[in-house]
Amino acid sequence: MSKKGKSLWSLNFNTATLVLIPAAIGINYLGKLFAGVLKLPLWLDSIGTCLAAVLAGPIVGAICGAANNIIYGLTMDPISTVYALTNIAIGLAVGILAHKGFMKNIKLSLVTAIVAGLVAVVVSTPLNMAFWGGTTGNVWGDAVYAWAIANNLPVFFASFIDELIVDLPDKIAVLLIVFAISKSLPKSLVALYQSGDTIDSLDN
Amino acid sequence: MKSISLYEEKGSILNKLAPESKILYIILALVLPAIVGSKMVSVVFIAISIGLLLFSKVLKKTIPILGVSGFVLLTVVIIQGLFRAGNVTPLLTLGPVIFYKEGLLFAFNIVVNVLNILLSFCVLILATKPSDMIENFVRKGFSPRFGYVFISVFQIIPQMTETMATITDAQRSRGMETEGNLLVRIKAFLPLISPVVMSSLINTKERALALEVRGFNAKNKKTFLNDEKKSSADKYIQITMILLLIAGIVWRVVGCLK
Amino acid sequence: MSKIVVENLKYKYPATDFLALDGISFSAKAGEFIGIIGKNGSGKSTLCQAIAGLVPNFYKGSYGGKVMVDDIEVKNVDISDLCEKVGTVFQNPFNQVTGSKLTVYEEISFGLENLGIPKEEMIQRIDEAMELLDITKYKDRNPFDLSGGQMQRMAIASIIAMQPEVIVLDEPTSQLDPQGREEVYQAVQKLSKKGITIFMVEHNMEKIASYSDRVLIIDDGKQIAYDTPQKIFSRDDLDEYGIEAPAFTKICRELGKKNPVTGCYPVTLEEANDLLKKDKGEM
Repeated sequence: MSKKGKSLWSLNFNTATLVLIPAAIGINYLGKLFAGVLKLPLWLDSIGTCLAAVLAGPIVGAICGAANNIIYGLTMDPISTVYALTNIAIGLAVGILAHKGFMKNIKLSLVTAIVAGLVAVVVSTPLNMAFWGGTTGNVWGDAVYAWAIANNLPVFFASFIDELIVDLPDKIAVLLIVFAISKSLPKSLVALYQSGDTIDSLDN
Repeated sequence: MKSISLYEEKGSILNKLAPESKILYIILALVLPAIVGSKMVSVVFIAISIGLLLFSKVLKKTIPILGVSGFVLLTVVIIQGLFRAGNVTPLLTLGPVIFYKEGLLFAFNIVVNVLNILLSFCVLILATKPSDMIENFVRKGFSPRFGYVFISVFQIIPQMTETMATITDAQRSRGMETEGNLLVRIKAFLPLISPVVMSSLINTKERALALEVRGFNAKNKKTFLNDEKKSSADKYIQITMILLLIAGIVWRVVGCLK
Repeated sequence: MSKIVVENLKYKYPATDFLALDGISFSAKAGEFIGIIGKNGSGKSTLCQAIAGLVPNFYKGSYGGKVMVDDIEVKNVDISDLCEKVGTVFQNPFNQVTGSKLTVYEEISFGLENLGIPKEEMIQRIDEAMELLDITKYKDRNPFDLSGGQMQRMAIASIIAMQPEVIVLDEPTSQLDPQGREEVYQAVQKLSKKGITIFMVEHNMEKIASYSDRVLIIDDGKQIAYDTPQKIFSRDDLDEYGIEAPAFTKICRELGKKNPVTGCYPVTLEEANDLLKKDKGEM
């Protein structure tokens, strides 16, 4: 692996990166709250996780995703704990793609969004099947699910479509927002999360 | 300040127990039914959880938690009851809609499962101070730095919610439309959320600096201002639960061998 | 004997192409109060953080020269070790709340827990620090429910409890209302009287003039002057560095009243008063 690859998977977080995690979880919560206030048909509850992944890499993204759902689980919604798996996967996917340059411009961000959306669907569908019989609780998605099983399509397929209809637009919106925000952050801040271990000398 | 944690100190037995005992209870409540392979065990645990919560005077507090999943459960019952493949035996007819026995039975299983998860978690979360729980983990070897990450979320979220209320008011008074058709509402999202997101990210720098100068990365062994949360009963409770778990496994294995 | 020695300090933040600090050299004795003044963006905060070791160990980047605290070279020790000797208070009181403690009392314990101070001693140190900063009455409040001034005093108490020998205060009053400022100024005076070596960045020149033993002007990362407040505020080129002399100095300058011994204008009300009285007596 190259030197870059090593830093991508490093488990040695500096304090700035650690402090980014609670902030990201707060941002997730805020997104969800605003989506509710504005009655948007999207969740928008992974903005923080994706931002952390873009700024500090896949491991931090995954930790944000996991910690996010564990904390929801310990407060409002115990079932959401198992969906930590989905958010870990999203954090990893977005972190890796961002590192490979897929958050450089809007078009590439859309690619990241579609990949993140698909990853989310693939991980969530089995969880939906196990806990809810395949539905998601989202009106639009569940309407399609009902239509599909009423037409004797396989349950996993109905569940897959149910989740896809919700997740894909959601991740596109989330990553476009993440793109806009990460481009307007001061460089000096971004450097903190990605800082190496070396101090150069200015002594002659 | 409003807390996101629903925990309440009522001086109850559940309050006094070590968080680990309550976590072990969750594990037992979720794993034992699966090992034994009977929905009845889940029903028994639901009853135990309700009993414990009632006894600790926090049963009312489960309502918001049940509410979150309640809506999804309702859709499960409706969709499975009406449309599930293999639905043949009509059970209930409401005008033009027919609920089928097979679908409802399937939905019932889901409801039992979900209720068991929710209520056993409530035993932990309604009676445990989050910081006590995480501090106990740190005492047992969990990274204090990650312990910090978890504990601070419980403070940061209410903080952000307050900021959000301020911003929503400010943007509305500047004439931003937050109601109307979907496009109007979508357009409102970014200007609402981006100031808080930007400021909370920028604040991470100073917070990190402030933590650093308070020995956040010190390598020596940490001490604690508060005493460890535990009671004399904890040891016995934990042993009993582990024995129950083992008994369940043995029962299952013996059942298979026969 | 110097407590702090800074020698030809140079520093460049990562991802930038200019020196934030460029050849800073000065020394301070134990118990001295050093005021640091200059324009916004002149490098005052960077200098503060260099004394506490945050520059370069938190940011990394490029570093030259050295900062010595007693016989420790700041660059070569961990921030978590140096913080027992050098405490830092930042601008924004809100960002200094750790967010992991539910009461003021517990909040102050954060640093002590990290340092591994035994519980008995911890309690004693917290009580003393709260007493000194006059926040004992808020002991059981949630840290976020305090006013700005109270929060900043809690931040100072949190640092004081760690018993550092040097305290760096980086514009501790800039985000406070007038009442909060006054509370913090009084707290800072108390610390100074206790014999703690203090570095303070502050825009209120009256306070800098009356508290400081010596004042450091920096501009564009370079050290312009390091001298007594009387000498500093009697300079003719203060405008260039965005500094406004204290009101009493300006008045006496208008009146042409210099202290005949030092040849400087007075910088505080007392000094101005003495000088004017003497003048009257002579007349």
